[in-house]
Amino acid sequence: MMRRRVDRLGRIALQAAYRCQGSAPPCPVVFASRYGDVGRSVDLLDQLARSTPLSPTSFSMSVHNAIGALYSIARGDTSAYSAVAAGAETVEAAFVEACGLLSEGAPEVMVVVYDEPLPPPFQHFPAPATVPHAWACRLRASDGASGYSLTCHASTGAPDTPAEDALPEEFAVLRFLVSGAERFEHHVGPRLWRWQHHA
Amino acid sequence: MQALEQEIKKLVIETLNLEDIQPDDIDPAAPLFVEGLGLDSIDALELGLALQKTYGVVLASDSKENRRHFASVRALAGFVSAHRKS
Repeated sequence: MMRRRVDRLGRIALQAAYRCQGSAPPCPVVFASRYGDVGRSVDLLDQLARSTPLSPTSFSMSVHNAIGALYSIARGDTSAYSAVAAGAETVEAAFVEACGLLSEGAPEVMVVVYDEPLPPPFQHFPAPATVPHAWACRLRASDGASGYSLTCHASTGAPDTPAEDALPEEFAVLRFLVSGAERFEHHVGPRLWRWQHHA
Repeated sequence: MQALEQEIKKLVIETLNLEDIQPDDIDPAAPLFVEGLGLDSIDALELGLALQKTYGVVLASDSKENRRHFASVRALAGFVSAHRKS
């Protein structure tokens, strides 16, 4: 009965979360989306502009943490859930948040990343998602022998090398995580996020 | 009245996006909320809005009255037929 409340973005995000969680015990979850379910807000604003009553369901689901909240309610799970949005650094912000939770003692943290193309009139916003997508992973503190690290440095500008593949930017971190590559550098304004894989 | 009950069942299903439920699956005398269909307070607000848009009926904020009107599809049909403006 919960599924009726969520639209496409919520459905793909929750599917990723359910599949990743599987039968693992409840753990803190970080939901990360650059723009979230902005289509709902556009609908609500449109209804306001036409002075028609707002849909209570849409209103209740229009906040950034609504999808995560639904996951919590549907599963009766009262673990710590958060929802982050940090522009082009949304995935990095989610992992920083997850590392904070791990350092506070959580044995495992799940990160769920999701976005979809922006509806009119927001298509001109910077770097909207090119396709609806969602992915999730579970993080544990490293035993020291292997794992990943994420560090933030000052950037002197992105290197001028043209990207050779056609994979949209939104998948850069996911590709790094599954590719086994040693390093991925993400330049965002004055910052450089360095992802490293320590085998 | 039976036609109106059928109409309201369709309205409930469409408004609340009840997937996998057909009008005939809804017992007109069964409770809509918590038990029966299992709807909740957000559904009540959404349904109230849909009834207002469709039939021009206005629900007062008196919760006791509303509880009675929203008890079942049959109760809603009775309320709508008594107060409808369209």
